[in-house]
Amino acid sequence: MLIDSNVNLGPWPFSPIPEYTGPQLAAHLAATGIRRALVSDLRAVFLPDPMPANRRLFAAVKRTPALLPVPILNPALRPWREQLDECIKAAPIRAVKICPNYHNYSLGAAHLDEFVAALSAAKLKLVLNVRLEDERHKYFALRIKGVAVADIGAFLQRFRSQHILLSGIYKPDLEKLAPSHANFSADIAFCEWINTLEALLEKIPANRLFLGTCTPLLSTRGQVDKLVRARIPARAKKLIGSENARRFFGL
Amino acid sequence: MRIIDVHTHPIFFRKGATPKEVAALVAQSRALGIRHMVSLGDVLVHGTHPTAAQVTAMNDMNAKLQAWHPDFFSSFCFLNPVLGERAVMKEVERCVTRYGFKGIKLEISNNARDACMKPVMAAARRFGLVVLQHSWSMVNLKLRRFHSDPIDTAQLARRHPDVKIIMAHLTGIGFRGVLEAKGCDNLFVDTSGGYPEEGLVEYAAEQLGADHVLYGSDLPIRENSVTIGRILGARISAADKRLMLHDNTARLLNLN
Ligand SMILES: [Zn+2]
Repeated sequence: MLIDSNVNLGPWPFSPIPEYTGPQLAAHLAATGIRRALVSDLRAVFLPDPMPANRRLFAAVKRTPALLPVPILNPALRPWREQLDECIKAAPIRAVKICPNYHNYSLGAAHLDEFVAALSAAKLKLVLNVRLEDERHKYFALRIKGVAVADIGAFLQRFRSQHILLSGIYKPDLEKLAPSHANFSADIAFCEWINTLEALLEKIPANRLFLGTCTPLLSTRGQVDKLVRARIPARAKKLIGSENARRFFGL
Repeated sequence: MRIIDVHTHPIFFRKGATPKEVAALVAQSRALGIRHMVSLGDVLVHGTHPTAAQVTAMNDMNAKLQAWHPDFFSSFCFLNPVLGERAVMKEVERCVTRYGFKGIKLEISNNARDACMKPVMAAARRFGLVVLQHSWSMVNLKLRRFHSDPIDTAQLARRHPDVKIIMAHLTGIGFRGVLEAKGCDNLFVDTSGGYPEEGLVEYAAEQLGADHVLYGSDLPIRENSVTIGRILGARISAADKRLMLHDNTARLLNLN
């Protein structure tokens, strides 16, 4: 049984990805052994106010217990606190995701102090989306880069008491952060090289890596096989495949 | 399912070159169902414009892999077309007659539209070789002088309809690249390059026909379990998966 920490619903303007309903998504994931998934709505990435997308997400997964909603909030928007309250009331959320590169604010912004404190007070985890796409393949007019590794490092340093989940970080960036920052875990959606996990485990312990497929932007089966067929100890596979997410999100 | 990987660099910037490392790679690949790999060489170890001597050394290294594991590796002859007709012909003849190389590999020494490609294609024709051309969408990248956009590789294939050409990197050429390759019977696309983006395998099968799509990984930059899983998980028939993962390349390179 696998838990996937990086799954999405909704259309993507730049490629013809499958647009699943909640039950269809759960069935698609189950076909590769994923029994629970943390799901966000991709519309929240581009809408000026992410809440319509979050409301849509809550409705879409309401009757599909395998899918746990992770709303995307934009802390640069003045009413983020009301929006957070609305999310907490609307669904049994365990975490909130931020997408600073898509929402046009710096990780160094002062307003993040209050935002991180509010999540902490509500016992919610923070997921920091680093990227959703390979920068080389973006739509030609979309000049958005992944979150810079130096900015992530400074952010981790600033919020040392928080343990943050990095989503979509590249393998070299993860390896750069690992020696100097203990307060993060990362999903493996955008980590790939021959023997990815064997190599990663030399730099970061298995209890800080999470299965993340970035479904449906990336191939679920390909991403799952990266873990399932990896030549690493069974114990590490179990941690990465489910146990770490279970512990982190309190499932 | 038996698998042939048409796009690999088993030795990459000199890493993985010892007999022990190569044997380990063969064993772990076989465990994933891969019965054969095409080694394209350590193509950028001497930069984008290797000398004739460097080209020869790279191809000799490829020949070594083949000699160590003749059932497992085939090789393509790496060329720097800018070196000119004599150098190109001489190296192709050497690699074919001495080592039995099965194709030609072109990287980023020049654009596929350039005049220096003419002797390369003549050599391919003369020795019956398949040509694998590095290709990537140049929309967000620079240096098209050296890198071939799918438009360039498709133009090469249309200029030389009697030579079989592989446009490398399905993920790199993207949906637009598939459309550029459409309707060109001597042009094939390999599935390598980039993260396993959703929908492209299905799109290539639909637009080009599954018989024009070849499994390739770009190992070690990519992971075989991921690149194979992407095809196994695609919404296409089992027969189409078998064509992509094995039969197309077996037929193209006469691998029995
Ligand atoms: Zn390559």
